[in-house]
Amino acid sequence: MDGETLHRQHHIDCLPGEVAPTALIPGDPGRVQVFADLMDEAWKVAHKREYLTYTGKKDGVPVSCTSCGIGPSPTAIGVEELIRVGTKNIIRIGTCGVIQPDIKPGDMIIATAAVRGERATEEFISVDYPANADYRVVRALIDACEKLNLPYHLGIIRTHDAFYLESPWAHGDYKARLQKWIDLNVLAVENESSALFVVSSMQGVRAGTILVAGANIFEEKQDNTDMEPHIRNMVLAGITAAQLLQERGLA
Amino acid sequence: MEKQHHIQLVPGDVGETVFLPGDVFRAKVIAEHFDTYELVAHSRQYITYTGTYQGVKVSVTSTGIGGAAAAIAIEELVKVGAKNLIRIGTGGMFQTWLPIPALLVITGAVRGDGLTREYFPPEYPAVADLYVVESMLKSAEKLGVEVHTGYEWSHDSFYAGSVFSKLDILEIEKPWIDAGVLIASQEASTVLTLSTARKVRGGVILASAGHHQNPHNQASAEQMVKAISDATRISLETAVLLDKMDHPEKYK
Repeated sequence: MDGETLHRQHHIDCLPGEVAPTALIPGDPGRVQVFADLMDEAWKVAHKREYLTYTGKKDGVPVSCTSCGIGPSPTAIGVEELIRVGTKNIIRIGTCGVIQPDIKPGDMIIATAAVRGERATEEFISVDYPANADYRVVRALIDACEKLNLPYHLGIIRTHDAFYLESPWAHGDYKARLQKWIDLNVLAVENESSALFVVSSMQGVRAGTILVAGANIFEEKQDNTDMEPHIRNMVLAGITAAQLLQERGLA
Repeated sequence: MEKQHHIQLVPGDVGETVFLPGDVFRAKVIAEHFDTYELVAHSRQYITYTGTYQGVKVSVTSTGIGGAAAAIAIEELVKVGAKNLIRIGTGGMFQTWLPIPALLVITGAVRGDGLTREYFPPEYPAVADLYVVESMLKSAEKLGVEVHTGYEWSHDSFYAGSVFSKLDILEIEKPWIDAGVLIASQEASTVLTLSTARKVRGGVILASAGHHQNPHNQASAEQMVKAISDATRISLETAVLLDKMDHPEKYK
């Protein structure tokens, strides 16, 4: 172990050994509690800024959950530091705006790759490099959804920086802004996955993303009430995927 | 429907799975692995053979070298009914831990080419279809063939980015080598992005004779014939697995 890893990481405030081989990363610190409630046991490891970490066990399998805040910048920090304390699989759990028809609110979206519509990862490597999920994590997430009987959609998503340019509450004609991504078979938009995928794959760490579909962002009425049961299902799918990765010798 | 401009095919001429070598002569080598095959069309560098393998209709269409030519073949193949596009090719490796020769199942590509920049915003990902990747890995295991998974750097200028270049290729390629990219070749970026956008499955399997770091240590011609044959056998088994997934009623 090099010197870098012997002290608590600057932002997540964790030491090696405090985080499980598989970590789930929501944006919202509030969702870490949803995770803790679903585990057989869970304990708080650290909380600094937007980074709240719990580690726990379910059916004997250790899993961690670290919130990384909103956007690519804090996500790239959280992912980098999780890797430095020894995490091998990182799974983003979150919400998104759906831009394709036939995806119902509450359905799961499993990302195979992300459009790199953000700038954080360009500091690491040229935009030519792909932001792809690891196929083994994608498989574990699919199998978890099938085991839990959750409807899911598999495909590419768009990560970008400016929420208030591409959401139902956006400035100006967001529909026109999004049309090219709809034409390119992008399922949904969100703000973090490409940072996770690029930072992880450059270092040989496996990553994936599962999201809960909100209302289609072209619907006039945005009814996103009662999302909590779906969010709980998504977190459970993340935990189940972590168990499957462990079973498959990947944790 | 009129014949497609370049590949000279109409719907019905190809199976749902089409193999895409660059080399027009390698198309025949690939077709010889089918149970049956016949020549369907030949125009410029585009030659197509269609036949069967274990009862599944399969085809091979050569694309010529580079993204520009491959994109033409892909657009036209999708119009005549292709659903699974599998490139079978070669490249030069970046990672010295990979064996010589090696077979690589490509999971994604660095978009260092011009074709996809014209088609898609640069931030659009080049990702292989999950089911093609998994079927290739299952098939390789069944056949007892060692394969490795990872990314290809897709680029346009062979004489800038190969062991035959006069440039300092290891300097040019350093960002990709450091990021763990496995191999340089030219077409994966085109195959994978276009497949995603056209809602078909795209995949790539590459045979490699050696590393850019060691130009004088390359696999023999005989070894490469076997590696390409193995890549073809894996791709044929993959076509069968995809057919079973898409048409389970046929297998009851």
